[in-house]
Amino acid sequence: MKEYFPIFSHQPDLIYFDNASTTQKPHSVINATTLFQEQQNANVHRGIYHLSAKATDAYEMTRAKTASFLNAPSEKNIAFTSGTTESINTVAFGFLEQNLKAEDNLVVTTMEHHANLIPWQILAKKTGAALRVVALKEDGSLNLEDYQNKLDSHTKLVAMTHISNTLGTINPIKECIDLAHKNGTPILIDGAQSAALHSIDVQELNCDFFVFSAHKAFGPFGVGILYVSDQYRDKMTPYKFGGGIVRSVTFEDTTFMEFPYTAEAGTPNVSGVVSWGIVLDFLNDLDRIAAKKHVQYLGSYCREQMDLIDGMELLPCSQNSSGIVSFNLKNIHPHDVATFLAEYKIAVRAGHHCTQPLLESLGVLASVRASFSIYNTREEIDFLMVKLKEIRGIFA
Amino acid sequence: MYQEKIIPHSTHPYHFEKRAEASEIFKAYNPLCGDKFELYVTLENDLIKSIYFHGFGCAISKASTSILAKKAEGMTWDDFMILSKDFLNVIANKNDAKFEDETLNILNEIKHYNGRMDCVKLSWEALCRD
Repeated sequence: MKEYFPIFSHQPDLIYFDNASTTQKPHSVINATTLFQEQQNANVHRGIYHLSAKATDAYEMTRAKTASFLNAPSEKNIAFTSGTTESINTVAFGFLEQNLKAEDNLVVTTMEHHANLIPWQILAKKTGAALRVVALKEDGSLNLEDYQNKLDSHTKLVAMTHISNTLGTINPIKECIDLAHKNGTPILIDGAQSAALHSIDVQELNCDFFVFSAHKAFGPFGVGILYVSDQYRDKMTPYKFGGGIVRSVTFEDTTFMEFPYTAEAGTPNVSGVVSWGIVLDFLNDLDRIAAKKHVQYLGSYCREQMDLIDGMELLPCSQNSSGIVSFNLKNIHPHDVATFLAEYKIAVRAGHHCTQPLLESLGVLASVRASFSIYNTREEIDFLMVKLKEIRGIFA
Repeated sequence: MYQEKIIPHSTHPYHFEKRAEASEIFKAYNPLCGDKFELYVTLENDLIKSIYFHGFGCAISKASTSILAKKAEGMTWDDFMILSKDFLNVIANKNDAKFEDETLNILNEIKHYNGRMDCVKLSWEALCRD
């Protein structure tokens, strides 16, 4: 797998275990960006000349390809944003804000990334609505009973992560989506950690909103995807204003186009989106089921090996888990672990992983996180174990 | 370097204990990583008689606070403030300026380790804050 990713030829010693943060880019994607800028560069939707028409085609083709990737009904359900964070903000301030009153509530979970927590928190404060947080069980899985108890007739949205970027827990989102709908509530699924390899079918899942970032799926930075179901498409309004979203403009008033164009004010990240289209080719050629199995296997192998190390404190993770492992070594600060590992070219993350409330609920201030992807190997994990045992010795 | 020079200061830190009495207690806290120390400063007139500290922190923040505690002892508060501000200035610069004092140089070297300067600065900034 590594041969597809140029960074590993430039840095052959690199053991890259920070994939939950961002993934590496394959040749084809890097080449596509260069090709676009060298040979096809033009703005979209505005020009009549050939180059602009081609750029528009490439951009809109990627929209259609993304719709197929998610099995969305059509390309009209897909908007491009700058990332998962902007996609979530678009739903918060371009949909929910218009429909939220003081007597309403929103439901999120304890394990949400700040991006899927703070917009809802701000919206709740703005409107006086309540923010309800679903608790976790001791094993790091969602407390479904608590989830059901928190849904009522005033619940206007559920926002839930598919896979926790800190714990690695995979949530039973199909079940949660069904429960939300039984309650008459729309649900947003944060697929930042799952979209790449988990073969998402938004129609089968029947979720109302699905969000993720290209850069966590082997794509470029600065490209996010927002899927909105047919039911909610015409309820989306612009929250960011400018050109590209309008029908007619006078000084007194402006009429707007419809979703997805209303979510794409301003010049889009054209080369980014066109490169994302090439990533989709890469992902479609990949045996994603095998790749997902490989990554999950690495996660459980890592946990298994870590369990054998003295002083290892693994953060709780449900049985159904992904290739993300958060841990601490007793009496050794996560920053010291990460700095030590970095000396050996092992890239892990240390800190709160943008999930401060989650860590606080677990009584932990910070942790080290190793997160795996398709180019990681069991041998790399074995090397990590050697180094973790070494650092124990030094700090003992 | 990290192992040889920092770890001795962090595994046997100078004046690492809680004090019931102090002229003033300063709190050093970084919510992003959880490093949290209380600094117990005892002054006699304008002279720093002692600085003790206690709490939770990474090896670098512990070593830095230990070095601070040793350095400050016997200095006037004003002189120590001048030293601290100078220290914080020098370590903020990417240039190769060095200190005469070898222990301060150890901390200066940390700028070559990515993202660890907040750990070095934690207690120094806590004392410089009014």
